Amino acid sequence: MPLVMIAYYAIAAFLLGLLGWNFVREKKSPDNLILYLLVMVPLILRLLRVK
Amino acid sequence: MKREGLVKSLLGAATLGLLLWGGLPLYRHRHCDIAVVKGPGVTAVERLSAYSPGLRNTVADTSVFVLEGREPGGKAILLGDSHANEPEGLLASLIFIENAVVEKGTLYVIPFFNNSASRNTRPGDGYPLYFDVPTAWGALRVRMGNRDASPLDQWPDPDVYVHFPDRQLLSFIDVRNVNRTWPGRPNGPLMERVTYGAMEIMRREKVDVAVDIHGAETMFPVTNCIVAPEKSVRIATLAALTVKATEGFENHVEPSPAGFRGLSHREIGDASDTLPFLLEAPIPFLDQPTGPKTTKLILDGKDPFLLSLAKRKKLFVPYDESGWPLEKRVGQHCSVILEILRQYSKRNPDKPIVVRGVPRYAEVLKNGVGYYFSDPKKADAKSIVDN
Repeated sequence: MPLVMIAYYAIAAFLLGLLGWNFVREKKSPDNLILYLLVMVPLILRLLRVK
Repeated sequence: MKREGLVKSLLGAATLGLLLWGGLPLYRHRHCDIAVVKGPGVTAVERLSAYSPGLRNTVADTSVFVLEGREPGGKAILLGDSHANEPEGLLASLIFIENAVVEKGTLYVIPFFNNSASRNTRPGDGYPLYFDVPTAWGALRVRMGNRDASPLDQWPDPDVYVHFPDRQLLSFIDVRNVNRTWPGRPNGPLMERVTYGAMEIMRREKVDVAVDIHGAETMFPVTNCIVAPEKSVRIATLAALTVKATEGFENHVEPSPAGFRGLSHREIGDASDTLPFLLEAPIPFLDQPTGPKTTKLILDGKDPFLLSLAKRKKLFVPYDESGWPLEKRVGQHCSVILEILRQYSKRNPDKPIVVRGVPRYAEVLKNGVGYYFSDPKKADAKSIVDN
């Protein structure tokens, strides 16, 4: 796997972590909760090497 | 606090459900192998990585079926699934693997040439993940792939693909298209390593004829034809004229453009002594203005929008209510390949390539494509190759 691909997976994992953290910390807005989850979908699929 | 936890749990569960619903079929498709039954003519099965070590342990590595004749002669290579959304190439090459017996010369067949693309899909176009070819014993389930390799296997794409070695600027997406990465290099992007592997077979084994089997839109001018460079054009023309005279179907010759780099019909001939041919059969499924991209459209090629366009003379092939079914496309390919080999053998009597057992156009039309495949469940385990 080329270095740039490894870096991409690391960035995807980092962003996923940030989104997860924000999801846990969110207290008020259900809209934000849904948005966090939606943004997580492609990152999870990529990290699992599904799509 | 309790309500917040409940909402988050419900939303999380819904997202997980969506991920599984959408992701599992894609995961299964990517990991689904097709059982190829070796026919009586197959004498060896190799891996492309034996010729291009950079493919080892990658999804792009693929099987190379060798059909060595009883007597020496010329050598030919057939490539299916260069574009894995043009399944007539795959099915024609599988028919050769299961049915061909080579009497003189040697055949190399790579049915899943872009193995990564055959495990990719095009969800934006609503591609089905599989289609079933009806057979006497049930159905042969075939992976429907995409034109380009999966970004899971080759990534990132450049802004512009700089072709090797000509340095012509091509579209960024073509870096994952094996019919733009010829002749390839051993340490280039993954798809260049794929084409390099095939070039190495041609150079090391001194292959005389290469046939890259495709399908093309009915609205695309380069369809229903044999694309050939200058060095192959005589044989291509004789093959086209012969199938028209004896078998009654049109398959004209298109010249390979010298200034458009990366294509098999151009680079194979320029980078080796092999004579390249690229076959195109019309596949309505690929046209843009069609109805839904269904498995039925793959099989029967019938579409009311294309019919309407045909009446306005907007298509480059004749098109009527009978559509352009799979058996017609695959049958054409089988006949044209056999005819190219016959014409080559006539012109090179010291290096004949004589193949028997492969059906011609009329037989495939009559019997259907599935007739030529045997049931992998009933076949000897040693004769199965999963790819």
